[in-house]
Amino acid sequence: MTIINDFDYVRPTNLKEVFKLLNQNKSAMLLAGGTDLIGNLKEEVIKPKLLIDIKNIKGLNKIKYAKNELLIGALVTFDDLIHSQVILNKCPVVMEMAKTVASKAIRNRATMVGNICSAVPCMDSGAILMVYDARIVISDGKNEWDEPVKKWFKGPRKTILKKNQMVMGIKLPIPKGDHSGVYMKLGRYKGEDLAQATCAVVLSKKEGIKISFGSVAPTPVRALSIEKFLKNNELNEQTVNEIKKLVEKEISPIDDIRASKEYRMHMVKIMLERSLVIAKERLVNPAPAYGISHL
Amino acid sequence: MGNLKYVGKSVVRQDGLEKITGAAQYVDDLDFGQHLLYAAIVESPHANAEILKINIKKAQGLEGVVRVVTGDEFPYRFGLYMHDRYIFAQQRVRFVGEQVAAVIARTPEIAYQAAKLVEVKYKVLKPVLSVHDALGVHQDFEVEKNNMIHPDLSEYKHVPWFFPKDKTNIAHFRKIRKGNMEEAFKSADHVFEDEYSVPRYAHCAIENHVAVGLLDHSKRLTLWTASQSPHTQRHLFAEALSPLGLTHKDIRVITPYVGGGFGGKAGVSMEILAAALATTVPGSPVKVLWNRSQEFVNTYQRQGVNAKIKVGVKNNGEIVALEQLLYWDAGAYVEYGANVVNAAGLSATGPYRIPNVKIDSVCVYTNLPPGGPYRGFGYSEFLFGLESHFNEIAKKLNIDPVEFREINAIKEGDELSYGAKMNPNGLMEAIEKVKKEIEWGKKDKSSDPNIKIGKGFSLFWKAPAMPPNASSTCFLKFNEDASINLLISGMEIGQGYFTVMGQIAAEVLQIPPEKIRCVTPDTDRNPYEWQTVASHITWSCGNAVKRAAEDARDQILEVVHRALNKKIEDLYLEDEAVKSKTERDFNLPLKDFVINGIGLKDGTFRGGPIVGRGMYMPEFSSALSNPETGQGGKPNVHYTVGAAACIIKIDKETGKVQVPKMVLAVDAGKALNPDLVKGQITGGLLQGLATVLYEDMRFDKNGKLLNSNFTDYKIPTTLDVPDEIVPIIIENPQSDGPFGARGIGEHTMIPVAPMIGNAIEDALGIRMRHMPLTAEKICMTQLTRRD
Amino acid sequence: MNQEIKVMVNGEKRKIEVKPTDILLDVLRNKLGLKSPKCGCGRGDCGTCTVLINGKSVKSCLVLGIEVDGQEVTTLEGLMDNGLLRVQEKMLEGNSFQCGFCAPGFIVMSHELLEENPGPTKEEIKEAMAGNLCRCTGYTPILEAIEKTCGCKE
Repeated sequence: MTIINDFDYVRPTNLKEVFKLLNQNKSAMLLAGGTDLIGNLKEEVIKPKLLIDIKNIKGLNKIKYAKNELLIGALVTFDDLIHSQVILNKCPVVMEMAKTVASKAIRNRATMVGNICSAVPCMDSGAILMVYDARIVISDGKNEWDEPVKKWFKGPRKTILKKNQMVMGIKLPIPKGDHSGVYMKLGRYKGEDLAQATCAVVLSKKEGIKISFGSVAPTPVRALSIEKFLKNNELNEQTVNEIKKLVEKEISPIDDIRASKEYRMHMVKIMLERSLVIAKERLVNPAPAYGISHL
Repeated sequence: MGNLKYVGKSVVRQDGLEKITGAAQYVDDLDFGQHLLYAAIVESPHANAEILKINIKKAQGLEGVVRVVTGDEFPYRFGLYMHDRYIFAQQRVRFVGEQVAAVIARTPEIAYQAAKLVEVKYKVLKPVLSVHDALGVHQDFEVEKNNMIHPDLSEYKHVPWFFPKDKTNIAHFRKIRKGNMEEAFKSADHVFEDEYSVPRYAHCAIENHVAVGLLDHSKRLTLWTASQSPHTQRHLFAEALSPLGLTHKDIRVITPYVGGGFGGKAGVSMEILAAALATTVPGSPVKVLWNRSQEFVNTYQRQGVNAKIKVGVKNNGEIVALEQLLYWDAGAYVEYGANVVNAAGLSATGPYRIPNVKIDSVCVYTNLPPGGPYRGFGYSEFLFGLESHFNEIAKKLNIDPVEFREINAIKEGDELSYGAKMNPNGLMEAIEKVKKEIEWGKKDKSSDPNIKIGKGFSLFWKAPAMPPNASSTCFLKFNEDASINLLISGMEIGQGYFTVMGQIAAEVLQIPPEKIRCVTPDTDRNPYEWQTVASHITWSCGNAVKRAAEDARDQILEVVHRALNKKIEDLYLEDEAVKSKTERDFNLPLKDFVINGIGLKDGTFRGGPIVGRGMYMPEFSSALSNPETGQGGKPNVHYTVGAAACIIKIDKETGKVQVPKMVLAVDAGKALNPDLVKGQITGGLLQGLATVLYEDMRFDKNGKLLNSNFTDYKIPTTLDVPDEIVPIIIENPQSDGPFGARGIGEHTMIPVAPMIGNAIEDALGIRMRHMPLTAEKICMTQLTRRD
Repeated sequence: MNQEIKVMVNGEKRKIEVKPTDILLDVLRNKLGLKSPKCGCGRGDCGTCTVLINGKSVKSCLVLGIEVDGQEVTTLEGLMDNGLLRVQEKMLEGNSFQCGFCAPGFIVMSHELLEENPGPTKEEIKEAMAGNLCRCTGYTPILEAIEKTCGCKE
């Protein structure tokens, strides 16, 4: 498969150059891992005139932790997330999510920032970022600021990012004290698949429970009504049905070739129920281990 | 058969080193120099439309475009068993993706760009997308002429064993009538009827189809193709292009290694384009390389089938009558697919002894991509319904499903549905061994209340589906060091054919297999082979190789006799040398004379290069029979049979199926290389598992394939393999097979779908009749049942 | 349009001209004559085009040729300088492949795995190989050869 529409390619070594090029070229696009972008170029989904490869920009491939906050740089790959000691210590559920992304050779290239910039509804990162109340670090070359993740996604393949802007990284506030998390992904089999539904749960002693679903609405959904319900109720045989009813209000899955909306709806309920149980277990025990499929 | 030194041993693959070092060359790896041209195909966006006008002006004007070709230049039909396929669409397109025109350009980029500039004006017609619509509303299936997908059907040339029905969309109607159905159903204690369906599937060999054509200035046409059928391709190219003055000797097909076939690279599909296009640019090679999406759409697909099954049984479990009505969604062109329908029709009883049989196997044109051969050749498709239905019957009769099979299993000498007799086979032994290995009857229970465990069982059989006179040949050439090149024209598509052919020659000539190299086919050089399909190649070409080796051996002994005055009956081959039973010390290494002959005292020589020749064609097979009953012929040379079983775990809340264990026993006659037989079992089981659990082709309401990629057509990965696979080899020799061998390659995928269906039923008590049985379907079926 | 790039290819410094639109896989096959990586899908699903960039596996159908300017690219051809890899020997002995088209991708992937993690569990092997599709073998003989290479039991 060949790319039939021409473009120019540059690989600047500093940010100043990146923003200059972005400002000069309306149809420029940034290239990091390229695992989505190059597929889209081949299939003529996009036809940029210029690709700005940011892989030579220093400092963007770091995972840093300071002041209860994790910073994931724009060039951090999913494979980096899987092997990061900081991630393993502070928020292993991010590793759990990263392990479900595509396959190893894709994860070696694909970045989390690229994932949320593509913003396809079946993306893996969305629900995790929602439960951590992540903030997206944006720059236009002059200023750098944060936007909360709940504002970031505008719809399928749509974000608030403007043409002359770039995402520098993602900040993940880590809950104070012990916390646990669970990520579950529904695929058609155990092998690589695009998510038909995802469910992320973060449970912290101090901040309570946070729940988000992906791939079951145009953008990732934070299930606030369920979080609220669980503030006052324990998960048990009686309440589980009420929680499942609330799921129906939170999500709006569609029918497509990968799954029916009915199956997605049913599975989100199952995934949430199982996630809540595991999150609770993980808060007190090291087991069940992170990074193993629970479906 | 005495002691075998090389046959029956798990020797390492002859092509192993080439393949693990990346040295093995496939067509797209060959270099054709900087003047290679690239073709891009203009495809129909409609499933059914008339072509009103094609404007190639803009495309032709693009710099780098060498030639734009439309159907006007090639108004020819071709096909393997029926001439119903076109090189380019003529006035009408019949499926989404059909080739309408082609651009030949200096680079692939220019070719694709130019292809987008070819303007085609269509008159869109209503597509016929299901068998139901194609058959119409009349008892005799007659439809209005404008609803016929091939209005000229009655003029198409076809093999004598096809029966197209005029004024319908039926390309072939295979009938089997045996015994007296009415009486039999009357005499039955119970009659059970049901309907099952199987969708379309894709082969998904990892190598896409590719063909390179070159017509030189002397009008010699050479094709390099990724193919299972070099000689058949040459024949079809010669037939199709004969109006251009090309004959068989002018056409040469070269086939290096092929990256998987599974039937998809049998016959001729897209390769005809490279052949035709090459004739328009004499002197320049032109490459047609399918991308993955084209691979799904415009080669062959496994045909879908709707089955109506009616079975009469006695209280004791004995089957007295079977009616199988199989309606095949064969697609827009059936030149190969109609023979799948035929093969299934002949054998739709499964490996069972049934005195009264009615089978209709009906090949129906639709406006979907062409159907064709796929590992299993119709048997996987009909067996899903049959083996599922037999479980249901056993359940209703309160008989253990395996016992039900034992009661009815076919035995040597039993009459087949078309009147011939069943060959020797180890079906009962297979059942026994599989039963034991899977601990049939022992119920497992999970400690997790969500997990339900089930066991499933299925028998299988298959005969090679081929013309009665399909043949194989071999030239065996000795080299100076007594190593050997085997010139054969079957394809090493991964099954291990080269290795096994080497073992056969090694055994006869007592030369280690490492000293034998098979040569990938080139129709100018390698002798004739029909095709590498039908799991017939081990048996058929194996016979040819054995005969070639025996011919070489006879020549060797004869020259020793002539030169050294030894008695032929005293001589034998051992350790790469000629030895004598009567003279202990006589030891004449082959390398001393197989090329240069044996020198005599007077300085002259006797003998010369040893070249063995072997041929095999079954002379007992006939496809002729009564069209109304199917009785009278011997269309199948023999059947390979076996049994398989599995244990599955289902999460009843999610529908997800896990497979802790699969067992398959197959009667190989003689496993020439047990390791390679096991390889076929392991591979075939997973391919079958994928058809039942994950895969199927989805079309939109306009006949466009929605999942023409691996993102949404889910073939299994390393994470989806069963935890344990137990291959069991049974050996009841095939009297006319090389060292008793018969084919097993396709068979290993055939029983998987019904055995999983039966295991799901065992675990959850739900019978699923429409493949695939995905997690979602299992789960939703469960949920609706609960409601 | 063509730009010159410098790449360390299988240990050798190479200067080549590429267009920005050229895909790495095509550059390797057509400009550098390295035919072991092959195209099976063109969209990163099948893994038969797997090569290493700076020691990390990538699907070369989803990388631009121009992106590897200044990088190290290794294909299967470049892994055999000291003879067959142990994993290749095990694959040869075990008749691990059938049609062989996917073999180079699997070997490159297993090489990366064993470099990163010399003692993987069976599950880790399966996970690492999950992006490489094989239609012939049912995977078992491939996985077994890798298991034998690293002496892994469970």
